[in-house]
Amino acid sequence: MSNIQLTINGVSKHFDVDSTMPLLWVIRDFSGLMGTKYGCGVGQCGACTIHINGKAVRSCSITVGACAGKPVTTIEGLSSDGTHPLQTAWADVDVPQCGYCQAGQIMTAAAFLDQHPDPSDDEITSAMNGNLCRCGTYPRIHEAVKRASQKRKATGSETKTAKP
Amino acid sequence: MNRRQFVQASVLTGGGLLLTFHQSAAQMLTAGRPSNGGDHTKQVNDSAMGDLLSISADGRVRYQFIKHEMGQGVSTAMAMIIAEELCADWEKVSIDLPDTNMKKFQNDRNGGHDTGGSCTIIYQYDVLRKAGATARQMLIAAAAARWKVTPDACYAEGHQVINRNTRASLGFGALAGEASNFAPSPSESIGLKEERKFNLIGQSKSAKVIPDIVTGRATYGLDVKVAGMLIAVVERCPVFRGKIKSYDASEAMAVKGVRHIFTNQQVAGLQRETPFMPHDIREGVVVVADSFWAAQQARSKLRIVWDEGANGSKSSADFERLAALRAINKTSPTAFIGDADAGSNMAHVKRTIRASYVFPHQLHNCMEPLNCTAKVSNNKCEIWIGSQAPNLIVTELQRVFGFNDSDIIVHNHVSGGGFGRRYYPDMAIEAAFISRESGGAPVKMIWTREDDHLFNLAHLFQHMEYQASVDQQDQLYAWYEKEIRTYTWGAKYADPQLPFMAYEIPNIRYDFEQMIDDELVHSSAWRGVVGHGRFYSECFVDEVAAAMGKDPYTFRRELLRNKRDVQVGDIYPVSGSRTLRVLDLAVEKSGWLKMHSSSDTGGTKGMGMAVCPYGNSYVAVVAEVTVKDQQLRIDRMTVAVDCGLVINPSGVANQISGGIVWSLTALLYGGLPIVDGRAVYRNFHQNKLLRMRECPPIDVHFVETNDTRPWGVGEISSPMGVPAVLNAIYAATGRRIRKVPIDMKLFSSDGTTG
Repeated sequence: MSNIQLTINGVSKHFDVDSTMPLLWVIRDFSGLMGTKYGCGVGQCGACTIHINGKAVRSCSITVGACAGKPVTTIEGLSSDGTHPLQTAWADVDVPQCGYCQAGQIMTAAAFLDQHPDPSDDEITSAMNGNLCRCGTYPRIHEAVKRASQKRKATGSETKTAKP
Repeated sequence: MNRRQFVQASVLTGGGLLLTFHQSAAQMLTAGRPSNGGDHTKQVNDSAMGDLLSISADGRVRYQFIKHEMGQGVSTAMAMIIAEELCADWEKVSIDLPDTNMKKFQNDRNGGHDTGGSCTIIYQYDVLRKAGATARQMLIAAAAARWKVTPDACYAEGHQVINRNTRASLGFGALAGEASNFAPSPSESIGLKEERKFNLIGQSKSAKVIPDIVTGRATYGLDVKVAGMLIAVVERCPVFRGKIKSYDASEAMAVKGVRHIFTNQQVAGLQRETPFMPHDIREGVVVVADSFWAAQQARSKLRIVWDEGANGSKSSADFERLAALRAINKTSPTAFIGDADAGSNMAHVKRTIRASYVFPHQLHNCMEPLNCTAKVSNNKCEIWIGSQAPNLIVTELQRVFGFNDSDIIVHNHVSGGGFGRRYYPDMAIEAAFISRESGGAPVKMIWTREDDHLFNLAHLFQHMEYQASVDQQDQLYAWYEKEIRTYTWGAKYADPQLPFMAYEIPNIRYDFEQMIDDELVHSSAWRGVVGHGRFYSECFVDEVAAAMGKDPYTFRRELLRNKRDVQVGDIYPVSGSRTLRVLDLAVEKSGWLKMHSSSDTGGTKGMGMAVCPYGNSYVAVVAEVTVKDQQLRIDRMTVAVDCGLVINPSGVANQISGGIVWSLTALLYGGLPIVDGRAVYRNFHQNKLLRMRECPPIDVHFVETNDTRPWGVGEISSPMGVPAVLNAIYAATGRRIRKVPIDMKLFSSDGTTG
């Protein structure tokens, strides 16, 4: 057991956990933030995607020890009021069905748009290909990412993703 | 309560209106007396629909959704129906998920929690309309009383009641409290809106749950937090029907955070005693710990010796061979049209075409892994879960543990996909057992994704044997279809009793045999619950067309030329005219007539079609594929839908499109191979699901219809991608593929022409 400091959504916390525990389970079982989902545990589905230093990371596949001292953003911290361009695009396009994978989809897309503010269709597909959706919402996810990128350009809010 | 009462009104605490609806036999509406108190639960405990609708003094409308929301969008659609009749402002309508209550929400076609078979909207439509219209009528009556005019001098619109003469208006919130005094009397009729005046039904609305989903606030079963909660995982026997011989938990118990280790044997085994929907709890060793991670660490240190039983040496290939042998057994028909033995009448038959198709077991792979939280102490049982049938959980908890109905509380959450798997009550039985054995502590049992692959229930296995007989006049004279399958919901055979098609063939026969006792994994309901194998009939129709030298579209049109309804032993007959209408629309929108098959330097292209009813909805699909460089690419899927009245076009399009993705996963990756009794795939790196890169454009088109009733949509497209693509592959390559998942080696250089 070790005492590990993480900054999750701007709040610094200490966790007395085994340093080899995947970050996902620290987020869910110890910080109590349940928006980050367990899907496969082996980095295949992307449901657990969060940001570390603004980069998309599969939280099931990184140990908490490797994240010590780093800023972590979960879906709860993506925006203060649920109005990140991706969150509003998801509602406008009526993307989710069961919704379970969608936090991971949005976090993947958010990090991607920060790096690629004006993506082509093919770049969107490549960026989102790692996230599974059993309900099959792919066409609408693609449409919503495109729409969010256009909205960010139009409003000049390309740094909308909340910085921890 | 008068059994003819439908509505009961009461005053909400803090003002406002609460409407409790009762489902009477004749659906007659009578007045309930308003109450003075806010504690409405006492007076409604014998109602069928419970506290369906409330309007608070600030005008907020809360609709009590008692079905299960698992991504099919039905909570939004149901709220739309009630809001339409109420003339409510959609933005002021919200959806609540009440606890399961078997007394308040009796399980019948008009009420109840049970959510499956694409039935919810079908059975709820009338009731919801009537409920919304009743509330509207009461609000109008309250406004009329205030203005001292007759109700017909007023109308409702946009969350207000308006006085026709003075143009004065009163908001629903301002009227809600008084409206409780105006519950309609038994003799009063409730006026429903004319369909042509609908202004919400038929409009695309985003699902109400989205704001919670995109912010991480939606609480799925796996996200439940209960004070003092422990986490359980179960290491189960890798072989179906296997048992524990012995186990050593000493090393596992030493892991920090582990609380208890015990077996689930008391509740394990195939549950054939259950009155409905037999299920399975695979025997195993339970680890209960402070955290998921500690439980998993300890689980890996268990030493278990299994008694694998006879299944330990069997493989899915053995099972398939057995099914193929059964397929040529001579059996009696389940049902037939014309002459059951027409195919052997050589005076008529000129040639016979045969084919065998296989649809193997398939996993549900709900994105939210299975889970259940339970707290059992002092003979009381509290359950937190996302379930399609919390009613079955209640009855099974009673059957297995002997709890009283009144001592069971089920908190039903939204779920991350149900697809039929969450219809089964096994998770709740097992979690309740684990909590009881853990001294009554609340325990959340979690299935890992590996558990999902190794120990789960699956789509039933189907072997379909077809034979078509062509007569001396070159007409399709007889159709024989035999199905071998592993699961029948306890029935003698699976409905419908005849092939699910409207084709006019003089002699049609359906035979059936089950293999439940031989299966290597327990079968269950899947999205497309009648069993996807039965939709291979659309491949065989294609084969018959090809054998007769006819275009697949022309051939189907000939078989539908009289637009007849055919009785197939289901609730609804199969409609020839509706089949034809979706088929024609799919052909028109897909460009079928321009390009059925072609070949150029871009590869070999082909189009294939499939059309079928599902329940009382109809779907036609045209698939466009390219086979190039030994690779299959699915270029486009065009879907035409007739689901009657469309409540929420956006939601229905999501279901149709999602169903196609579902079937393409089965087509390309599905299957549940078993070797030596053990499932081969452990996680998504082996058992793949379709990804965005492979997802073709999916165009969804609705037929123009005068149908004033909505029909189900959750499953209708899910079996249809497979036959459409297989037929397209034939058009492109001349090769028939008769089993999914497709063996990609078939497209190797020596296999592209078959």
